[in-house]
Parts: sequence; C-alpha cells; structure tokens
Amino acid sequence: MKKIIKLTINGESVEAAVEPNRTLLQFLREDLGLTGTKHGCGLGDCGACTVIMEGRAVNSCLILAIQAHGKEIITIEGLAEGGRLHPIQQAFVDKGAIQCGFCTPGMILSAKALLDRNPKPTEMEIRTAISGNLCRCTGYQKIVEAIESASETIGSEEVS
Amino acid sequence: MLLPKFDYHEPRTLEEVLLLLSELGGNAKLLAGGTDLLVRMKLNVDRPSHVISLEKVPGLNEIIPQDRHGVTIGSTTTAANLAESELIIDRFAPLAIASSRLGAPMIRNRATIGGNLVNARPAADLSPACMVLSANLKIKSLNKDREVLVNDFFVGPGQTILDPNELLVSLKIETPPPWTGGSYLKLGARKALEISMVNVACLLTLQSADGPIVDVRIALGAVAPTPVRAFAAEEFLIGQKPSESLFKEAGSIGVGMCSPITDHRGTMEYRCMMIESLTHRALQQAYHRALEWKL
Ligand SMILES: Cc1cc2nc3c(=O)[nH]c(=O)nc-3n(C[C@H](O)[C@H](O)[C@H](O)COP(=O)(O)OP(=O)(O)OC[C@H]3O[C@@H](n4cnc5c(N)ncnc54)[C@H](O)[C@@H]3O)c2cc1C
Ligand code: FES
Ligand code: FES
Repeated sequence: MKKIIKLTINGESVEAAVEPNRTLLQFLREDLGLTGTKHGCGLGDCGACTVIMEGRAVNSCLILAIQAHGKEIITIEGLAEGGRLHPIQQAFVDKGAIQCGFCTPGMILSAKALLDRNPKPTEMEIRTAISGNLCRCTGYQKIVEAIESASETIGSEEVS
Repeated sequence: MLLPKFDYHEPRTLEEVLLLLSELGGNAKLLAGGTDLLVRMKLNVDRPSHVISLEKVPGLNEIIPQDRHGVTIGSTTTAANLAESELIIDRFAPLAIASSRLGAPMIRNRATIGGNLVNARPAADLSPACMVLSANLKIKSLNKDREVLVNDFFVGPGQTILDPNELLVSLKIETPPPWTGGSYLKLGARKALEISMVNVACLLTLQSADGPIVDVRIALGAVAPTPVRAFAAEEFLIGQKPSESLFKEAGSIGVGMCSPITDHRGTMEYRCMMIESLTHRALQQAYHRALEWKL
C-alpha cells in the first residue's frame, strides 16, 4: 500500500505517494527525475548513490523512500547556485578530478558532508570521507587535491 | 537491485513494537539502519512480509551516562554517534575505535550497534569491543524481560539467542576501573568498507601506574564461528608485570583459542600469524592508554 511522504529536497518541499519497497534512490531518479544521483551496485559498496540526509552522507540505495519522510535531503542538483558551480564542483573541474563522471556526484556530496562539519580537514580525513566512494578512473589523487583546494576556496570566501 | 514487496510498520512506542513482534513473529523483520537487512532483502536472503522500523521509537538511539558508574546505549545508536561521543571515546575506547572502523562514513551514519550485534557476523566490528567491555544486553518481548551478557549472546554465524519476537533494547556497560586502557585493531585486505580478516579488542587494567596487570580482557573476531574471548591469554597475563615479552607471549597463547578458516580474504596460516601479532599490538596499545588514564 502506498504511503504519503513529505520531505525537503534541495530546499524545496516535496510530497508524494510511495510504495514501501521503493528506495530513496529510485524515488529521486525515477519519480522526481533527479538523475544526478547514480545507481551503481545497489548494495552500499560503491557510493554512487550518495546523498546528504540531515547533514550526513548516506547511501540512498539502502534507505527506503518512506524513511526519508520529514527529512532534509541534498542531492548533487542542489549544489550550484544561480548557474554558478559550488566551490567543490568547480575544484573538481579545475583539478581534473572528473573523468567518466559516474562517481562524481557521490564524491562531491561526501566531500560536502565532510567540509560542512570540518572545514579544514587533513589529507587523511579527506581520504576517510571518500572511502565509501569508488572511482574506477582517476586513481583518487586528483579527487583528494580537488577537495583540499575546495576547502581553501571556501575558507577564503568566508573570510572575505 | 529491487526490493521485494512488504508491509511497512512505524510503531511510535516500545510497547507497539513488542505487540507487532508478538503478532507477526517470524514473518517480520526489524529495520534499524538497514545496512544489513536491505542488502539481504535485495539479495533474496531475507524475505519478510512485514518490516518494522525502529526509527520512531523514542529514546532507542540515545547514549545515556549513568552517573560515573556506566552508560546505557540504546540499540539504534549509530556507529557514527558512538565514534563521535566523548564519553565513549574517553571511557569505552574499544567501542569508539571499533565504531570508527566499521565500513565507510555512509555506512557508519546508518549502521546501528543493535543491528551489528543481532546480525552476528563472526567478523562484525562491534561484537569484540562489546565483549571486552562485558556489555549487558537488555532484551524485551511482550511478556518477558531478560538481561544477557554479550558473551552469551552469539550462537554461530548469523545466529544469536534472540527469539523472533524479541527486541534488543539497549546495552548497559559499567565504567572500567581507574588505570584501564582499551584498544581495537582490525585487519582487512583493504582499508575502507572491509569486513575484517581478523579483529582484536583489548581492555587492560593496572593496579597503579607502575603496578601489575589486575584485569585484562581480549576478544577476537573472524577467527571462529562466533567472536571469542581469549581466556587462556587473559589468565596468563593477570598478576604479571607488563612487558614487551609478556605481551608477545600472550599473543601466541591467543592463537590457541582460534579456529580460523581459509577463504578469499586469507588463509588459515596467515590468519594465525595475524592473530598473534594483532593481539600483541592491541595489548601494547591498551597498556599505553592505561598509563595515560586520568580522572
Ligand atoms: C557496504 C557495507 C559495508 C559494511 N562494513 C561493515 C564493517 O566493516 N564491519 C561490520 O561489522 N559490519 C559491516 N557491514 C554490515 C552492517 O553495516 C553492520 O552489521 C551494521 O551494524 C548493521 O546495523 P543496521 O542498523 O544497519 O542493521 P539492520 O540492517 O537494520 O538490521 C540487521 C539485523 O538485525 C535485526 N535487528 C536490528 N536491530 C535490532 C534490535 N534492536 N533488536 C532485534 N533485532 C534487531 C534486523 O531485523 C536485521 O535482521 C557493512 C555493510 C555494508 C552494506
Ligand atoms: S548504488 Fe548505493 S552504494 Fe552502490
Ligand atoms: S571518474 Fe569515472 S568512476 Fe570516477
């Protein structure tokens, strides 16, 4: 039986009827057309489906849409503002941290969840934060550099 | 990966959970963080016709200090919250460290301590930590309450003493005495997201900063069908003056407890060597933390 859920996605409130066995990932991609969130393994291993829920990075493939009722969710579509990329997105572009791009939304949201709590992370903390996000292309080094660079940009923007 | 169909329940009180469990029993599964259950349902290993979410039950996810004597940890407390809790870091170190090593951040943000224990994987991260801390598990069903020591909880891989109509409510842990230090070490083939090949938790208590060992507990995971206490190594250490060579010998006694298997994560011989060296290192770390003990 379908149930009504109400939640906030990228600042906008959304109301919908969902079956209990619908995952948050399916709900975002198929019901709302927010296909920036990727479907990789479906089992919590790859991190392609990462979104931020209540300030924390989570695997949307292992959460029921019903469980997101009343929650605040950020997906990759919610990062750019007024056509301007978020500093983490810009850093990924500038540092060549994107190749095929499949892991990128998840990587960027894991990075955002980290920087929101810990604006000046060490390299080790960055590597831990993205340890659940697999990338088959870049070898991770450029991703780590991009997150380091974004943390500097965000730091200096906040000061100025 | 699609989830099969099920009826979803979101009880608002503990009482309601227990009522549902008693009515639905074997047809129902409790949903805590879902990092185990939803995977098993996608893989068709579990096929419950009812899923009962624990999320809306008040107080089940709280870490409650009991004066200075101990702490009560609700069963739906997440690994992330345990790893970040100052109380757990300061006084119950093996649990804080083990929680910080469970999976990757996204998993830790959802995975609960109750799910980790009930799931009863031989390699689970939180079980050995709970064992050295002698956690007492509070278990409830509609018409029975019981308390069980975590050491008596596991029966075999994926099996515990819980009946299908029972809920693990919370864990009660006493604060270890002064001059206690704890440690947790996990060896996996990869750093992140890895199920352990071997894991070791230690809790070591000295009589005083330069005194002998008055109590020590060592628990090993992934080396037998359930996590095990290395009692022989513990007995060997009690009453002794801590030293490098003592810890090394305790490591080799620790191996005697184990019946590791050969699988894709490692051979039996390799696992035995690792048990010895991890136990040795875990004891060293626990000893150093005991020396740093402060009120
Ligand atoms: C990618 C990935 C990586 C992982 N890495 C690790 C790891 O490194 N180390 C590790 O130990 N585990 C790991 N796990 C396994 C899992 O995340 C943990 O065991 C976790 O702690 C399970 O908790 P949960 O709240 O998600 O459990 P759930 O999936 O919600 O529940 C697990 C089982 O316990 C039952 N249950 C839950 N709570 C209760 C309760 N209060 N009373 C009675 N029954 C209950 C459920 O019905 C279900 O059968 C990993 C899983 C994934 C998907
Ligand atoms: S799709 Fe969710 S972790 Fe791979
Ligand atoms: S850029 Fe291709 S998977 Fe990361």
